[in-house]
Amino acid sequence: MTLPLKKTALAAMLSVAMSVPAFADPIRTINLVTRPQAAQPAEFQFTQLIAQEWRKLGLDVNVEVMPWEQMIQAIWFSRDEWDTTAWQMVGRPERSDPDEIVYNLFHSTTAEKGFNFIGYNNPDYDALVEKQRVALDPDERREIVRAAQTLLAEDQPNMMLAHPKSTYAVNTSVWNADSVVDQSGIGIRNTWSYIQMEPVGDVKDIVLNSSDNVTAINPLYISGGTDSWITELVWDRLMRIGPDGLPQPWAAESYEWVDDTTITVTLRDDMMWHDGKPVTPEDVKFSFEAAGSGEAPMYSPFVNGIADIAIDGMNITFNLSQPSAPFLTASLSKINIIPKHIWESVIEEQKTLETNAESFQEEVPIGSGPYRFSSWTLNEEVVLAANGDHWAAPEAERWILRIVPNVEAALGMLRSGEINFLSDFPGDPTVVVSAAEEDPNLTAVSTVDIGFRYVAFNHRRPPFDDAAFRKALSASVDRRLIVGAAFRGFAVPSNSVVSPALGFWHNESTVEGMTAGVDLAKEMLAEAGYEVVDGQLNYPEGVSETLGE
Amino acid sequence: MKGITVIGARLLQTAFVLLAVITILFFMFRLMPGSPLAAYIDPNFTPEQQAELMARFGLDRPLWQQYFIYIGNLLQGDLGESFFYRQPVAERVFALLPNTLILTFTSLIVAYLFGVLAGAYLAWKRGAMVEQIGVPLVLTTRAMPEFWLGMLLLAVFSFGLGWFPAGGTRPPGAEYDSLWALYTSADFWRHMTLPVLTLAIYSQGLPLLLMRSNMLDVMREDFVTMARIKGLSTFSVVIRHAARNALLPVMTSFAIAVGYQIQGNVVVETVFSWPGLGRELVRAVSTADYPLAQGAFLMIAVVVILMNLVADLLYAALDPRVTHE
Repeated sequence: MTLPLKKTALAAMLSVAMSVPAFADPIRTINLVTRPQAAQPAEFQFTQLIAQEWRKLGLDVNVEVMPWEQMIQAIWFSRDEWDTTAWQMVGRPERSDPDEIVYNLFHSTTAEKGFNFIGYNNPDYDALVEKQRVALDPDERREIVRAAQTLLAEDQPNMMLAHPKSTYAVNTSVWNADSVVDQSGIGIRNTWSYIQMEPVGDVKDIVLNSSDNVTAINPLYISGGTDSWITELVWDRLMRIGPDGLPQPWAAESYEWVDDTTITVTLRDDMMWHDGKPVTPEDVKFSFEAAGSGEAPMYSPFVNGIADIAIDGMNITFNLSQPSAPFLTASLSKINIIPKHIWESVIEEQKTLETNAESFQEEVPIGSGPYRFSSWTLNEEVVLAANGDHWAAPEAERWILRIVPNVEAALGMLRSGEINFLSDFPGDPTVVVSAAEEDPNLTAVSTVDIGFRYVAFNHRRPPFDDAAFRKALSASVDRRLIVGAAFRGFAVPSNSVVSPALGFWHNESTVEGMTAGVDLAKEMLAEAGYEVVDGQLNYPEGVSETLGE
Repeated sequence: MKGITVIGARLLQTAFVLLAVITILFFMFRLMPGSPLAAYIDPNFTPEQQAELMARFGLDRPLWQQYFIYIGNLLQGDLGESFFYRQPVAERVFALLPNTLILTFTSLIVAYLFGVLAGAYLAWKRGAMVEQIGVPLVLTTRAMPEFWLGMLLLAVFSFGLGWFPAGGTRPPGAEYDSLWALYTSADFWRHMTLPVLTLAIYSQGLPLLLMRSNMLDVMREDFVTMARIKGLSTFSVVIRHAARNALLPVMTSFAIAVGYQIQGNVVVETVFSWPGLGRELVRAVSTADYPLAQGAFLMIAVVVILMNLVADLLYAALDPRVTHE
């Protein structure tokens, strides 16, 4: 700690005494963090590529490999102690509305403890994303969201890399290929497919795979990616994200904005719980209150804008504390409708305990959705049975999720017929595609994801507080190289956090205007005053290194 | 009378070993890098919620306090609550343990039956062509990594020939009234064939080589020569006289092999999607789920220690020359 201080002081004295042009410090060794190759091959590959390009600019780059558990500690919980890191945002249906990403990732209020772990702080940007949140006219909101993306492209708070494609496959000798639904930004692994897939022969069970264990089947606990496939089928929601990526009425017969902060939803009158009792507006009101009760902490952010809920016949009126454009997606499409006659006593009991509703596992989970719970064998399979009484009753008879931790075996199982829907394949997607090319009974579908991969810059630490420096670093790497080498072509280049999968919101000019190359980056650095001395990149004149060893 | 004291002393010893294992496990996991919170970090959590969570799992207390709380709970049969699944560890561990035990013991029995017979045969055929090929072959199979062997068997017998399913303990959606009904069903054994074969090929080397070298020793002994002189048939000499005596050390090695086998289970359970304790253990360690990892390790340790105890006590029963006096 003392060394750089001394050096700075000495340099300052010298510059005063001799009135020579101001000093400049070389930039310290920059750390770039990635997860291990075995866990994240693409990420490991692209960090190596990026480090290599950055070194050509005269930077000392140290690639540091650590597992996710350690990375969380070193980055998320130690916000001013890292330089740059590979990071990812995963696609989820409710991220089909851009609000969660454009707001939470970059708004200054989320910098200290929330999603904005990079510490980006731009009042102009804050104003834009606040405005889109209350802009209820979609076209007006779209313009604001596009402007926010332009601003991000200019500022380069992150080095955006790619939107990966998710690749899944289906056995078309079991399922009619035309009945499989490719949901925008999500892929064919979605609720719509599971409802609409038509059997062509005697096999009427959808048998699919996951490499992760099922953690919990609980409508008040966001417990994991695989678990959400189940909760989406067992429980209904007022709205659902449609195949086009936009919210559409589901358990709601219809909805109507009464004014900027009031929305009235009419509940369908033909809904039954899986235990035979009718679904009532009281159940719906209870579901939203349970989410905000403090006993379901993961769901509370999705209901905290609701001031009060009123019931009139089959109508449920939500009063919001302020206008909310993402409300249909972030709240109505998110909250599971749960039976009051089961959960009321659970919530009451949990209030007296140290635990919360997330720890409560129903023996037989009861929802009202298109599939009902049938059985769960620990770490092996979950079986759901079609709910024939549902207004959107599935064409299939059962939905059987097999837990297959061996990825290669999952593909073999698809070929041999042990599973008929490959819903999870963390390995190299080219393997799935070529398997489908060889076998006429298999169809693989690749879909651009809502999620994205990027390298995050820590704005709390120079030189990453300088937009010119970030832009140069970002420009030094051609995204086509990343897509080709790290993702084997199964991705699209990215320069915006809003995926091209969200066609309505995506600002294509951010990507189209991208230019890249080491020479270009060198020019940009020189223009901003960064100079290479003895092969090492220095700060602009007058700036000293405060973080070196 | 003396026998009972000896058994008592052995049990006491076993209890001490267990306590040592529990203590080492407790501190080992807590010295690993990474935070247990990472398993369910959620951007929506406020710092208060994080603190509440830490308090709920006792992670805000000093380590020594955590240790004594853990020991106290353990004495009451409480293995704690899994960080990751938010469910009692005991529930998960006891649900998965039977799957691991049946796989382990079936494959060991297969390996030992084969190993003992083949070992005796190779000893008897000392110097013959079959021995010259057999011994290197055994060494080769023993050296094959299990995951590789497992994948090979999958590729040939499951994906190639379609004889056996590739994963799990039952066909998709099959329901059984009880664990017993599952374990006695033909489907279960069909599912277990490849994992058992993998583990058996992996572990047949020890009993085979041990049996062979014991046999070679025994066959030089006077009583075998005596039996030959008496004019007994070769079968009678090899099996009834020599093999019976050569078998003893092999039987003890069975107990030790259980420990090795469980280590192999971790890999095989992943390759064949077998819902056992080994897979759970890997998962728990990688998510820093201390209570679950400790619980799973503890169960495995208990099985290994018990097997050693049984071997110890049985030895005296099997071989009158060995006494505990």
